[in-house]
Amino acid sequence: MWTAMALIVLLFFLSVYGAFLGSRCAKEFFNGIPLAVYWVAFILLLVVGIFIFKRLLRVPALLLIHAGCIFILAGAIWGSGAGHEFRKNFFGIDKIPTGLMQIYEGRSDNRVILEDDKIRELPFYIKLRDFRLDHYKPDYLRILSRQGDSWMFPVEVDTDYSLGSEYGTIRIIRVFENFRINLEGDNRVVIDDTGPGFNPALEVQIQSPDGRIETRYVFERFPGHTHSEDELFLSYQRIISEYISELQVVREGEVVAEKDIQVNHPLHYGGYHFYQQDYDHQAGRFTILEVTSDSGLASVYAGYLMLCIGLCWHFWINKLSGEGRKI
Amino acid sequence: MEIKYTIQGLLVYTTIAAYLLALLVSILHRPRAGHILYVLGFVAAVVSFGYRWYHVRHVPMQNLFEVFLCLGMIYPVSLFCRRFLRVGGQSADMLIGAVVLVPAGFIFNANPQKLPPALQSWLFVPHVTVYVLSYIFMAKAAFHAVLQLAGKTPRTDENLLPPEEATYSMICVGFPLLTLGLVLGSVWGKRAWGDYWGWDPKELWSLASWLVYVGYLHFRYMSGKKNLRINSIWAIAGLVVIVVTLLWVNLSRFFLGLHSYGAAM
Repeated sequence: MWTAMALIVLLFFLSVYGAFLGSRCAKEFFNGIPLAVYWVAFILLLVVGIFIFKRLLRVPALLLIHAGCIFILAGAIWGSGAGHEFRKNFFGIDKIPTGLMQIYEGRSDNRVILEDDKIRELPFYIKLRDFRLDHYKPDYLRILSRQGDSWMFPVEVDTDYSLGSEYGTIRIIRVFENFRINLEGDNRVVIDDTGPGFNPALEVQIQSPDGRIETRYVFERFPGHTHSEDELFLSYQRIISEYISELQVVREGEVVAEKDIQVNHPLHYGGYHFYQQDYDHQAGRFTILEVTSDSGLASVYAGYLMLCIGLCWHFWINKLSGEGRKI
Repeated sequence: MEIKYTIQGLLVYTTIAAYLLALLVSILHRPRAGHILYVLGFVAAVVSFGYRWYHVRHVPMQNLFEVFLCLGMIYPVSLFCRRFLRVGGQSADMLIGAVVLVPAGFIFNANPQKLPPALQSWLFVPHVTVYVLSYIFMAKAAFHAVLQLAGKTPRTDENLLPPEEATYSMICVGFPLLTLGLVLGSVWGKRAWGDYWGWDPKELWSLASWLVYVGYLHFRYMSGKKNLRINSIWAIAGLVVIVVTLLWVNLSRFFLGLHSYGAAM
């Protein structure tokens, strides 16, 4: 029992130490050789403890709690990079533990970039049909004066908004998803390009109190696009509500699965999960997926379930019936 | 530190005032009036939470301001503990309710925010709710641990558990909730970020606070009631680590990570 206490206290201090390292270093630290020894020792202690302390076998809730911890740790080791390496060397099972895929719209790919920048291939292809961003509505036009006054207006075309007696009114004339300027002879023509890329922008007109009208363009991706003589600084603000990649799994030329993946809604196929990780911020032409192996996950989730059921059973049901007070 | 001249701010200040008044009246041996004021404070806390919900159009548990609004609705936990577990400390609950609302009223930024994609999950509400509940139970556990260290015992006519047993009782209720919070967060992390354990500072501090209570339960099993003071110190240490997990990790620049959006300064 004192050994168990020592391991619990040690893990407490290791966790606090790991919190100061940051997630990347902490991951390396907790997956290193010394900690691997610790994890194995912890599992062995739990297994031995179950057989030494007969009470753990007699009280099903306590057995569930401790067996749940074993399942969680065993699943985590099985699904770790070292676990993948072990299975490759001893059982010939070769799976990619984790990596990233960059896929262009309309293209298929099976190459996964690993953490050490090596490239591995999946036994099937992932095709990106389309990538898109959804935004919360409404969008906003934010205005800041040199004197520090600020306004925030919802983007509604052909609606006049008052900026007070000093600055007049502002009207949104046009909304662009992909702002472009084309040269037609000597004229520069502003268009909303339906081709690749995105450059969201607003065309606004500011009517000063003396009746002078000025046309300005406000860009979401270039909020600092102003001139030194401007009295008002404008910005176009849109808040992303979702990133969506429309994916298809292609095996031997056949589409075998498809899903529109979002954050919290990954694709699961062939022993791997595919997550929305990043995208092409410049033109929206490609998506970046995180690929993770699902090895060990079932054991971890089974452990979670056993742990939670065991704890609720032991501390709530036994406790409410009065039996738990003996512990 | 700023005063919020808004309806939301007014509701928070009303709740704090009602809780403090309830505490004062209770100390002056007017338990019935104290209880009525406590209930009124709770009603104000619920209205405040509901108003925020209406204002931001999602369950308000996104940042520290909203989580602390939620923590302020402590009355049902008080009632449950008194009625079903024979654990008192209602006056302390009034103080806890007022104290947790002070940062919401004067420190945290209350600007409404849209939910980022990672928070748009069915796990969002249960994950935060079980954590909030567990923190309240663990705060009550720490309060009774302090009573135990101070040598206080309840009056015989109150039919309440002695402080050390009350501490244990609170941890017995709170610990499964704390575990559930950790597990739900892990499952959510897997769905949102691809890993059920990312070694993020918040995750590691949450694990540390969980381990303090694991240690408490094992130590209490080993030593029984021979080391009551050590049991109590262990329970207080648990709350200290929870406060670090809830506040320091979110607010400090030491711990930038996946949970940084929870900050609300």
